[in-house]
Amino acid sequence: MTGKTDQIVEHLFRAEYGKLVATMTSIFGTANIQLAEDVVQETLITALGNWGTKGIPDNPTAWLVQVAKRKALNELKRNQMVWMHHQADPIGMGGSHDADPVFLENEIEDSQLRMIFTCCHPLLNVESQIALTLKTLCGFGVGEVARALLTTESTINKRLYRAKKSIRDSNLPFSIPQGAELEKRLKVVGLALYLLFNEGYNSTSKDTIIQKELCLEAIRLVKLLLLHFDNNQELCALLALMCFHTARFEARIDNHGAIVLFADQDRALWNKELIVIGMKYMQKSMGARRLSAYHIEAGIAAEHCMAESFETTNWQSIFDQYKLLEKLKPNPVIALNLAVIQSQLEGIESSLRSLDKLKNDGALSHYHLLPATQGIFHMKLGNFRKAIAHLEAALHLEPSATESSLIQNRIEECKKML
Amino acid sequence: MQEFLLILKGDGMNHLSPDELQNIMEEYKAWVGRLGDQYLGGQRLEEHGALLTGKDESIITDGPFLESKEIIAGYMLIWAASQDEANEIALSSPHLGLYTIEVRPLVFPKMK
Repeated sequence: MTGKTDQIVEHLFRAEYGKLVATMTSIFGTANIQLAEDVVQETLITALGNWGTKGIPDNPTAWLVQVAKRKALNELKRNQMVWMHHQADPIGMGGSHDADPVFLENEIEDSQLRMIFTCCHPLLNVESQIALTLKTLCGFGVGEVARALLTTESTINKRLYRAKKSIRDSNLPFSIPQGAELEKRLKVVGLALYLLFNEGYNSTSKDTIIQKELCLEAIRLVKLLLLHFDNNQELCALLALMCFHTARFEARIDNHGAIVLFADQDRALWNKELIVIGMKYMQKSMGARRLSAYHIEAGIAAEHCMAESFETTNWQSIFDQYKLLEKLKPNPVIALNLAVIQSQLEGIESSLRSLDKLKNDGALSHYHLLPATQGIFHMKLGNFRKAIAHLEAALHLEPSATESSLIQNRIEECKKML
Repeated sequence: MQEFLLILKGDGMNHLSPDELQNIMEEYKAWVGRLGDQYLGGQRLEEHGALLTGKDESIITDGPFLESKEIIAGYMLIWAASQDEANEIALSSPHLGLYTIEVRPLVFPKMK
């Protein structure tokens, strides 16, 4: 081995796993995703032994692809399988194009794209789409997927097993949809990646590192889609939205892992670079034939990102955009957001009246953020007894551990004021 | 000094995530670096192959033939001054835990 580098980038194995599984699936067909994963696992273990003793090769990706393809060829012979690939000489053993990094890169990208459409196939329910995407395309281990989605390994194993079985039973082609089908399928893929992103962004598990990685993976996959469908304005809006949210990721949690409320966030911690990228994609998303929910959500997030401070935020614009969003996808959580923004426009009392109304509607009766918000508003008004009652109600609705401690702290503060 | 064969058994690495494998690769590199000349070589084995049980029996191929924890995953060859030192070396390897390690001295003196 001639490689003189003794370091490889963080998560290289994970990133390569996703690329390799896609490439292997293009060889074995979608009926054999498990075999593709086994071959890639074996390839990484081989790399571990080889690189561990002989050093890192000059081009780790090319090394891995070459080894994986040899292993794939052996598997095909052993199992007397047929080559599923769309190319004439996919193994690249005879040709010279394996040495061509451009060819390699295109081939890998193409396979990954097919893999996205396979993992996010409408045949699978959205939970399975997300789990399968994280496992096969993002290279997360089962334990990591379980932690990221706040569930158990056995649940994830079952989900993955069933997903692969459905794919095998339905004999899905490993292809990129064409024509009218494409737009429909892109919507399904977009939604899966949007939800995957939300899993990372909204679920406040203790493991903030893995949550952020979920967000970054969602961004990576949308970018990959945009390389090929760069005129898809809905995807541009989705990416803008993801960039704006991720830009604020660090500021939401303090050094002790506690939540920092939006109004108290240190805006200097927001990632300016990501905001700029978000703005770029927001520009590209303009002029869409139809305004999607992603457009509006990106618009709201952009408004927050552009404000100098919490106080100088353009609340009216945010309120109007939420109204639009509510019309597009009626949802009690959006109604809650509208009520909260009302406090900026008309004052806390009027906001509390809307919150009471929401509570009486009952649609949010299990959502802890409703009583939590009521509690905090009452606290601001100095109604500490009412505040405590609402905050305690919020605690009964099983908020996450970090939210729980935030609410507890507020209750203690209120008690001191009595 | 004598040569020792470390026989690694099990399938521990098959269940690790890519991130975990990469971490072990780094540990392995450091371990081999520390051993220096005492590390002579090693190799991972495929799980399948052939099992021959006697001249008259037909050859059984493919496999695996054993329970996963009994499967030989690979081997390493090292130099050590004694069984104790060889054990120490095996104990410090990042493979231990994922695999059981059998530490066996090669017959000495070496037969030519």
